[in-house]
Amino acid sequence: MKKVKKPVFFIVVICILAFAYLTFFGVHTYYGDTKHTYIKGAEEIRWGIDIQGGVNATFEPAAPAEGSDQPKVEDITNDDMDAAKAIIEQRLVGLNITDSEVYVDYSKKRVIVSFPWQAGESDFDPEAAVAELGETALLTFRKGSEASGEQVLTGKDVKKATAYSDTSDGNSGFAVSLELNESGKEAFANATTELSGTGGQISIWMDDNCISAPRVNEPIRDGSCRITGNFTWNEASSLANKINAGALPFKLSTTSTNIISASLGEGALSAMLLAGVIAFCIIAVYMMIFYRLPGFVASIALFGQVVGTIACISGFFGNISSFTLTIPGIAGIILAIGMGVDANVITAERIKEELNNGKTLNGAIELGYKRAWSAVFDGNITVVFVAIILMGAFGPTDSVFGTLLSPLFAAFGASTAGTIYSLGYTLLVGIILNFVFGIFCSRLMLASLSKFKFLRNRKLYGGAKIDG
Amino acid sequence: MDKKEPKILKVYEKRKIFYAISCLLIVTFIVLTLVIKLNVAIEFKGGTILTYSYTGELKTEDIEKVVSDTVDDKCTITLGEDTASDSKTIKIQFSSKEGISDDKQNSIKTALTEKFKDNDVKLLESTDVAASNGLDFFLKCLVACAFAAVITIIYIGFRFRKIGGISAGVFSVVALIHDMCMVYGCFVICRFDINANFMAVLLTILGYSINATIIIYDRIRENEKLVGSKYELDQLVNLSITQTMGRSIHTTVTTVLAMATVCMVCFIAGVSSIISFAFPLIIGMIAGVYSSNCIAPTLWVMWEKHKAKKGKGKAAKKEKRSQRR
Repeated sequence: MKKVKKPVFFIVVICILAFAYLTFFGVHTYYGDTKHTYIKGAEEIRWGIDIQGGVNATFEPAAPAEGSDQPKVEDITNDDMDAAKAIIEQRLVGLNITDSEVYVDYSKKRVIVSFPWQAGESDFDPEAAVAELGETALLTFRKGSEASGEQVLTGKDVKKATAYSDTSDGNSGFAVSLELNESGKEAFANATTELSGTGGQISIWMDDNCISAPRVNEPIRDGSCRITGNFTWNEASSLANKINAGALPFKLSTTSTNIISASLGEGALSAMLLAGVIAFCIIAVYMMIFYRLPGFVASIALFGQVVGTIACISGFFGNISSFTLTIPGIAGIILAIGMGVDANVITAERIKEELNNGKTLNGAIELGYKRAWSAVFDGNITVVFVAIILMGAFGPTDSVFGTLLSPLFAAFGASTAGTIYSLGYTLLVGIILNFVFGIFCSRLMLASLSKFKFLRNRKLYGGAKIDG
Repeated sequence: MDKKEPKILKVYEKRKIFYAISCLLIVTFIVLTLVIKLNVAIEFKGGTILTYSYTGELKTEDIEKVVSDTVDDKCTITLGEDTASDSKTIKIQFSSKEGISDDKQNSIKTALTEKFKDNDVKLLESTDVAASNGLDFFLKCLVACAFAAVITIIYIGFRFRKIGGISAGVFSVVALIHDMCMVYGCFVICRFDINANFMAVLLTILGYSINATIIIYDRIRENEKLVGSKYELDQLVNLSITQTMGRSIHTTVTTVLAMATVCMVCFIAGVSSIISFAFPLIIGMIAGVYSSNCIAPTLWVMWEKHKAKKGKGKAAKKEKRSQRR
């Protein structure tokens, strides 16, 4: 670290401060009344439902009624579950809930939904909403593009819809193939014969929402057709899922519902913020009293770590989308900051020790970081393992870590407690940032500061007073 | 090394006191669990609680009648107050552990709002978990902890193979279990609900405790290399603990101070949900630094000595005994 020059300290500090400013306030431009967000600020952190209140529900296919022709729960396929997920997503949008998380647990045949809700919001009834989400979807095919059009088919006339890559007729997109049951063939043939002459449309409705309105190009008599329209893969499979959802012969019922009132209101959140600021100041003062210059550097590094964690949660970086922060998530931040304090304390203690062993100032700083490294590395890396396990165990089943650990946790099914997933995430991010700020940045800053003559007093590093 | 070298703490010699204290505490917690029942949140044990807010005056019997007229499940009703939203609440708890359907929840709501039109009955919270779902979640937490412990043992076994890795890993996990027991005890004594917060604290302490233990092991590993030939194992461990004591104290004091601040501010602001999480965290941190200094390394020394004895056979054993005398 001999190459580190005096200005390095100021460059690092300015970088951290600029980063902090952007993280807290974001970058917005106003064009008239529309706000365009380039970088999300701290205000845009999404709070978990345990903090701001919300609904967390688990749906399972209801057991078929005695003597009905519904399939047994064991016979329900993964495709059916995807279809069920599609219905719920569609309805959430219908209820004007856009900030929801929906995921499927195939092994336990559950669909897990969570979305925020403020207690006391008078125009929204969470119980009714949950009940509505689980209703059997009503899929209809109608003549024309209006809801009032004459009904041609219903969901039970549809056998299967599949998304596929459509390369015929020089197309390069994706399309949906549709197969009908015997019951629907004739009606569909009649309707398409009538409409194809006039270039009319057939619209497909789920509940009260039009999900597609393809133009009829030719009469369809054999009960199998395709819906084309330069779809992307996502669009095509989404449409197929929705159509299948309408053909879904089972009702979903909730096996667990949690409607949580906001445990932290507006006032409580600011209290938390105040607590955080005070706690940070106490740590900074304590570090400066006991470790002087290294303590001062540590405080700056810790500040950088806190800012970095907030940035990763609010969605500061384009490639990391914003993340829901829950109470356990806050625990993760606290632990990561604790680890950051620890890394700095270990190093500062080491520097002090080396100075007392008679090393020169530069040598002591060098050795201090070198010797502390193995302890800090081993301690942090085990916590990283813990964080990854938490993310795998409690995260959405389709996430990277979830897939990785699925053999281990498959028996337990996906859990409704996304709150602990948040703990894993903040912990992981915090530890990575600890390596960046607590070790790399603080080392740069301290090495640079030690080049200043008036900061070469060994006492400033906790050493006994010998010549510098 | 100059003459200002501080006295080496005799941690190993006092180990029996530490074990006694820890065992006593754990036994106390077990007894307490049996005597005063544990408050397991229904997200784990399954069941249904519906909470409504209302204004004006309501009587428990009236509500009970409405609910029992609407659905035929047995329930208990308590009236209370919610500090967060500053309103009066009705809490309807059903005895069935399997949860009740959303249709039934809806009809209860409708019945209540119709019957008590003037009281502005509104849903505040509802928790409805089938017992099987709750158990799944609980087991999953345990498996996650166990898996994390196994990975830790393997990692420590690999990184600290020079000082007898796997056994060091096992004892770090013993210390970890010890800390978790302390956190559990804190929940029992303070009558906090065993809920997702409990799990979050346990998992946080898991990380904290392992880290604290590794710091000590790291120092033992380093000293083994530097001065290993000069010291007996127990003295080597004492030396390492003494050298890291500064770090142990300062890290613990800073983190505990920070958490205490959070506790205080939340107490003043009346945010109880955070206290039931921040306070056990403090206990866990203190337990963590205690166990990583006093329990894990001393147990590990005992194990290594025991192993050495066994390995050398009876002759060596006798020799050692006479040496000790």
